[in-house]
Amino acid sequence: MQGTLASVLTVARWEVKRSFTTLGRNVLPLSVVLFVLLLLATGYTAQSGMHLQDGIYSVGIDDPSLAVILGGDTRFRVYTADSSTLEDNRGSYDLVIVEGRVLRPLTERGRAAAKSLERDYDQYVASVYTRADDLFAAYPLWIELEPVKSELSFDATQSGQYLSVWQRSGEPPVPEGPVEAVAPPAPDLPVAEEVLREGLERDAGTPDQIARYTSLLSDEPEYSTFRTPSQLSPPLPFDSIIFVFAFIFPLYFTSQFFMMSVMQERIERKGEILLSTPVAPSVIILGKMLPYLLGMLAVSTAVILAAGAPLSVLLPLLPVILFFLAFALLIGMVSRSFKELSFISIFFSTVATTYLFFPSIFAQVHVISLISPLTLIVLQLQGETITAGQYLYSTALFYLTSAVLFLVGAVNFNAERLFNELDFFPRVREFIAASLSRDHPYRSLVLLNILLIPFIFMAQMMALVLFFNLPMPWSLLLLIGTAAFIEEFAKSIGIYTLFFEGDARPGWKTLVLASAATGIGFLLGEKLFLLVMLTQVTESVFGSILFLQQGILLLWMPLLLHTACVFVTGLVLRTGGKRWYLTGLLAATVVHSLYNLYFILGWMR
Amino acid sequence: MNARHIGIIAKKEFLGLNHEKTILLAILLQLFVAMFSSFLMVGLTSMYDPSSLSTSTQVRYGIAIDGANTTLDGLLAERPDFTVYRMDLSTGLAALKERKLAAVIYVPPTAADAENPVQVTLYTLQNDIQTAVVQVKLKEVLLEYEEQLREVRSPRLSATPREVQFPIPQRSEGFYEFVYGLLVPLLVFMPAIIAASLIIDLITEEYQHNTLETLVATPVSFPDVVWGKVLACELLVPIQAGVWLLLLAVNGIRVQNLFPILILVSIASFILILLAALTALHYRERTAAQFIFSTALVIVILFVVAVPGNPLNVIVRAATGAPGMALPETLAVLGVAAMVLGYVTHRYAERIGRLAQLGG
Repeated sequence: MQGTLASVLTVARWEVKRSFTTLGRNVLPLSVVLFVLLLLATGYTAQSGMHLQDGIYSVGIDDPSLAVILGGDTRFRVYTADSSTLEDNRGSYDLVIVEGRVLRPLTERGRAAAKSLERDYDQYVASVYTRADDLFAAYPLWIELEPVKSELSFDATQSGQYLSVWQRSGEPPVPEGPVEAVAPPAPDLPVAEEVLREGLERDAGTPDQIARYTSLLSDEPEYSTFRTPSQLSPPLPFDSIIFVFAFIFPLYFTSQFFMMSVMQERIERKGEILLSTPVAPSVIILGKMLPYLLGMLAVSTAVILAAGAPLSVLLPLLPVILFFLAFALLIGMVSRSFKELSFISIFFSTVATTYLFFPSIFAQVHVISLISPLTLIVLQLQGETITAGQYLYSTALFYLTSAVLFLVGAVNFNAERLFNELDFFPRVREFIAASLSRDHPYRSLVLLNILLIPFIFMAQMMALVLFFNLPMPWSLLLLIGTAAFIEEFAKSIGIYTLFFEGDARPGWKTLVLASAATGIGFLLGEKLFLLVMLTQVTESVFGSILFLQQGILLLWMPLLLHTACVFVTGLVLRTGGKRWYLTGLLAATVVHSLYNLYFILGWMR
Repeated sequence: MNARHIGIIAKKEFLGLNHEKTILLAILLQLFVAMFSSFLMVGLTSMYDPSSLSTSTQVRYGIAIDGANTTLDGLLAERPDFTVYRMDLSTGLAALKERKLAAVIYVPPTAADAENPVQVTLYTLQNDIQTAVVQVKLKEVLLEYEEQLREVRSPRLSATPREVQFPIPQRSEGFYEFVYGLLVPLLVFMPAIIAASLIIDLITEEYQHNTLETLVATPVSFPDVVWGKVLACELLVPIQAGVWLLLLAVNGIRVQNLFPILILVSIASFILILLAALTALHYRERTAAQFIFSTALVIVILFVVAVPGNPLNVIVRAATGAPGMALPETLAVLGVAAMVLGYVTHRYAERIGRLAQLGG
């Protein structure tokens, strides 16, 4: 144990030395200069604002003093003329304001311009009212939001009670459960007038954009639960999300370095020396990774300290860091050339960014947003405490997938795999094949499918997040289809790599056994996973599609389904050959979707 | 410079790209970005314009109200989206917990013209997408109520804003600004950024695989090699960007001034590619070159976006067909910059080539 640790540290030391010699004295001073420039650029952009959409609308006004309602919005080019000229030339402007009335053409652009102008106008009105001496004359109505936790469990929604929010009859609903006596809230605002005014001013937009990010982290005054009607929209934590980018951005760079370092070992077989040392591949990987892991943690801590955020933000960041490193390792091991490395890593970071950022936009709105660890950071930045359950829920997938990826990396970290010149897809296939045992094909199929579960869930989660925004029947149908396809694809990977190498085709018995092994592994993994976590997402109707089998009483039904579907793929592959792979997958998807549809529709009627 | 040699090198790089099929990934990536943005759009529409969620079915949400009788009752009842019940607060909350109501409102007995504000309490379900929808619908009603109260208290106001009347907003205002102001420049410039990082890979690969000596030993001169690679990367840009604009058109998003936009992007990407090539020639090592270049790129983009009348803004204006986009001026400035950079790159490559021959 101690010996292993020592070797890890030794490899880590080599790595640090190596990267310093490659990066060398050339890069470091320049990167300091660049860092300073970056700060300057950020400051400058914050000061002068984004000028991306300047002048896309033109507005004609008859009263120059009305320009005040635009609040200096650079999207509008303002022209002044008298009312009759404007009336005659309405066609040459996107908007015309004559005698206090806004006129717009019925084009897409005209409508968009009117909408933007209306938003500006609202801001202008707010700015006037916020400065009023008697704040409660300008803002006479304050709303306190009281969130209520629904006591209905997921099981109850199955019986259709979900729909009862939409009442049709005139009779008031009668609660079935006991009625707890609730004292009516006190009629007086417990917050000082000045605190409220401060909050309004902040919402109206302080001139300094940087201040918005810093004030985000200061102690929130109590006003936040009290809002005026115009502040009532579901809050989009855009500010926090932009801020969170400051945490993620350095991770991209550092994982690039790690990726490159792995790739370097493969160029001109440089890594042979390292491989010839008597240490295990896993030790080499850990040693090479350690400096980058520590570096990422150090950078993150620095960002946290600089921003004055709580140090607990590191907790949800850790699995993200591991995830990036795990992917960096594999990308570095798989790519054949620099350009391939670039493309794959750009692709990976875009997909990962989507997975991380998209849900956190809805941080305040829906529990689904918790599938991204970034949501936890957003919540933490907003001063909420996160529970252990939430932490497990949003980070477990990241921990698990990283572990599996490291495992695959360690198994394949040898000379044969690192230095061959195969194409991309055969290479990936080799990586998987190496992780499977040919002597015990069925056992490895079971294991592979268990290990694939976290990835499947991740992909399905992504589909969930993408689709749940669509109108209801479409989101459901699309989700059913996509979820089924992802599962079928994942299940086919094992069988495809093991039994369809080259022109080989398995016998009927092998195919049936392999399908059964896949089905068992898949079901085991799914159940294991559900056992460990996942209570929150199943509360929503969408969760039931992804984790449908959980609700169905008997285990043999899903087992049969998983086995049958992968058998369908295998069957098509066996009869048609590899060209029919996609067809086989689609056929299996259809079967799978029909099964799911039957049960979902059975529930929802 | 020898045009034939440049052509040969460019062809070689194209074949390499084609062989690795990595270009597929780049296309997939763009598709992904497009899909992602369209979903983002749909998601945000449904949140801010909930009527888009329930177009055909007229859903009525159950709302319970308790406390003082005010004009709010009438305002709520007028709405086609709500069914309003006068209920005891405790019973209402119990029904809300069982999802038999969408919201419960408690109105205090504060008088409309009182010194203090009216503090209404709004109970909604936690963590429910429906809540977001109900909240947006309630907001409209509460805004009306606020306006009524403000009217009552108006004698106490020291200043009132200028009044402007807006046309009645129409449904499906669309995402004009998002599409033209963000998506179009993003999609059009992404190929340029990809091409710039591609040239770093192409150049550093020759150094790190020690294939440069072989290349220089052939009749192809070193500047020819560099220009060939630049050409290969540059050609990709208008093709990719053009395909994008076509795809947008298929989706019903008509982009004006197609041709000028493509020219502008090509020149801008030429500048980026040359900068990247210079970085790569200087560092000869991928990690360093990519790191320096991408950091510098972020800085440059931040600066450029902050300058009024920047090329990105010109593209946005050209795409919308807004007047006064100053296209020729921008093209001229970028063109001069590209020529200067091209000259510098050529001289630098010549020097490196001479040194390599001397050394070899």
